[in-house]
Amino acid sequence: MIRFVSIRLLRAAITVLAVMTFAFVVLRLSGDPAAVLLGPDVPKDVVDAFRAEWHLDEPIWRQYLAYIEAIFSGDFGQSMRDRSPALELVLERVPATLMLTVPALLLKIGLGIPAGIYAALHRDSALDRGVILLAILGFTIPSFVMGLVLVLIFAVTWNLLPSGGFGGWQHAILPALTMSIGGIGILARFSRSAMIEVMGQPYIRTASAKGVKWRDVVRGHALPNAAIPIVTIVGFMVGALIAGAVVVETIFSWPGIGRLLIVSVSNRDLAVVQCILLLIAAVMVVSNLTVDLLYGWLDPRLRAGAAH
Amino acid sequence: MLNLNRRQAISLFGATAGGLVLPGYLRAQGARPSVTVAVQKITINNTLDPWREQSNVGERVLYPNLWEGLILRDWMGDQGPVPGLATEWHRIDDKTLELKLRKGVKFHNGDEMTAEDVAFSFSPERVFGDTQPAGGQTIYSENYTPETAKDIPASLPGVGRRKWPALAGVEIVDRYTVRFHNATPDVTMEGRLYAGGSQILNRRAWDEAATYNEWATRPITTGPYFVEDHRPDVSLTYRAFDDYWGGRPPLERITFVEVPEVSSRVNGLLSGEYDFACDLPPDQIGGVMNAPGFEVQSSTIWNHRVSCFNTEHPVLADPLVRRAMTHSIDRDAIVAALWGGMTKVPAGLQFESFRSSDMFIEGWTAPEYNPELARGLLKQANYKGDPIPFRLLNNYYINQVSNGQIMVEMWKQVGLNVEIEMKENWGQILDASTTRGIRDWSASNTINDPITPMVVQFGPNGSIQQYKEWTNVELNELSQVMETSTDHAKRKKAIARMLEIAEREDPAYQMLHQNAVFTGMRSELNWKAAPAFAMDFRGPNWATNDG
Repeated sequence: MIRFVSIRLLRAAITVLAVMTFAFVVLRLSGDPAAVLLGPDVPKDVVDAFRAEWHLDEPIWRQYLAYIEAIFSGDFGQSMRDRSPALELVLERVPATLMLTVPALLLKIGLGIPAGIYAALHRDSALDRGVILLAILGFTIPSFVMGLVLVLIFAVTWNLLPSGGFGGWQHAILPALTMSIGGIGILARFSRSAMIEVMGQPYIRTASAKGVKWRDVVRGHALPNAAIPIVTIVGFMVGALIAGAVVVETIFSWPGIGRLLIVSVSNRDLAVVQCILLLIAAVMVVSNLTVDLLYGWLDPRLRAGAAH
Repeated sequence: MLNLNRRQAISLFGATAGGLVLPGYLRAQGARPSVTVAVQKITINNTLDPWREQSNVGERVLYPNLWEGLILRDWMGDQGPVPGLATEWHRIDDKTLELKLRKGVKFHNGDEMTAEDVAFSFSPERVFGDTQPAGGQTIYSENYTPETAKDIPASLPGVGRRKWPALAGVEIVDRYTVRFHNATPDVTMEGRLYAGGSQILNRRAWDEAATYNEWATRPITTGPYFVEDHRPDVSLTYRAFDDYWGGRPPLERITFVEVPEVSSRVNGLLSGEYDFACDLPPDQIGGVMNAPGFEVQSSTIWNHRVSCFNTEHPVLADPLVRRAMTHSIDRDAIVAALWGGMTKVPAGLQFESFRSSDMFIEGWTAPEYNPELARGLLKQANYKGDPIPFRLLNNYYINQVSNGQIMVEMWKQVGLNVEIEMKENWGQILDASTTRGIRDWSASNTINDPITPMVVQFGPNGSIQQYKEWTNVELNELSQVMETSTDHAKRKKAIARMLEIAEREDPAYQMLHQNAVFTGMRSELNWKAAPAFAMDFRGPNWATNDG
């Protein structure tokens, strides 16, 4: 088990380092922050002064070494826009993003999985088809369209909820709903197919033939075996808790990580973008690691495989 | 359809009032009303320092509600100079301007504004750093050595020198009198005083701030509103400053909210979330105008859209080709198609403000739309259809992409092969590592003199020359005349010749159209938009509103 965890921890560290390096190089190759931040009207000497202030005039390898050294000493750099500490800027946006993504995740899990299981257990019924139809609609309609439609109905036409912005809990309803709809559809579809596959297995037939109650067959034999693909998808969704709200936060003017990422990328605010990507990578890696460990818990065969 | 207003809905759900009803709640107190303004972007640099935030969007939040200068721009009038923190001014000589300060002006922290605040506002520590004025040495200043987080950003002195290239220093004559000393003669010193950047700060607040950033996010000024809350990239709230020298401000609060999506701004306006929705593209105007109780205020602003030529490109090196390009564009058709006729094609790089200083060149026009002439010029240039790259941003300017596509088709009609290259940011637009051709730009007039934008943007220190896109020896000599001569006739002759050079003989750019801004609002507010990005929420522009 220790070896199983150690290998995955090592992989996680390598992944995070790769993301950091990739982000560092790509950002510096895709436009000069001085020209982006200062705009087209600023004379060259002003641009040169800016580049010197942020060491952008140094060779990229020297900038990279300085960056890595700073990261390991806990310094995530400063925003080029207002000289605030990048980590501080990023962390203060996290609660706003979680205000949307956590309720959205709970809605996805709370509605998507039961709907998929119900549809699988009532395969080919009208309800099954209804669930499938809604699920397909849910994940095929882009979130920017869904968001605007919800705003048109609930904010503009009925005047029930705010159209956007950050305020009380009412402001979070439409963006959280917009974020959850696609995920509900995805989880419903995955849960349904996973359950259908499991329900066709011989051990389900055997359990039923032995006279085990149908409810116990589903709960004790079908659900644990169908859980692995569902856990994988939920793992991705948990990993995207920080990063998954870029479009929705823009539509609803929600001041979370997604908005900060968009603004920082378009301004080539290097330290902030790198800090966000590092955070996203870390959350995704931890989420994947947790999913890996859950596999072992859910399926003893995997645990046994790892032990050998 | 369910007919339920917001207040009923909230009662129904047993919710607290919260942010949903905040503006209405404040209005109900019998106090002054508050307004919420949805904008695409609050500021570019996340600061409220007018030297740092030289953008159009910055103008909207900085003036005239927060920052004020000795001389103010007449935002609701002809954009000319009007007394501000100075009540009168006169020339000592062609290099020296003396101003009498308004007495009793209070800063937001209660301090009275004095000559010391004015001198500090133009000091090396505040703006010029270790730069020296053109043609002289800095005077009336201590040595400046930037070393800590309190120091100004490295780019600030360059911006300061762009606006005040030859300012040698500000002399304190007495508590309420200052003298601005220039190293060279300059007829535009008064104009420079109401351009963005030359506003007056409170020295004590600067000294007390731990860092430059701390000061720059909540500066202490003399304006009618003070900064109550500033959340960069999210919102900016101003509150009325009742000790304002110009009288009690009419609004309790002004909240600028950053809403990047245009559809979200429109929806928020129509649903009552916002009182104003700024930066509407022309195609959204109909939707707002057709909604009962809403209107759109449009105004042309002192900013012209142009396309610049890069003469390092082998084809564009020939002025005949550039001239052909300028005569291939039907500007009136573009204004009609993309702007619904709500802006105009200007008389070249000129603004109406030039008339107030008698510097407007009558009879000058944008290049005539004449495809035959364009074809003839191309033939003369022996143009063989070589591709010309056109670097384009994705609607940095309103209608930029559509405008670019239309121009490419118009150029194609006369035989020009222009290829659009979509770019993501200004860094990529200006990147000199690959061949540049044409790019979009805009040119702003900030004072009532043609020195802006012709000399500032296209002269020897303008970025178009600094980035080696174009240069012209004669125009550079004439820029010198514009900057230092005090002979009106000579200056007027110089700008006329500069227009001929930059728009006809050796085109640096081609004029497209004047820019315009469109602001959606509730009709009952009875507020008027200025011909600028700035939004005037002072008393006279709200006089008829009681909330």
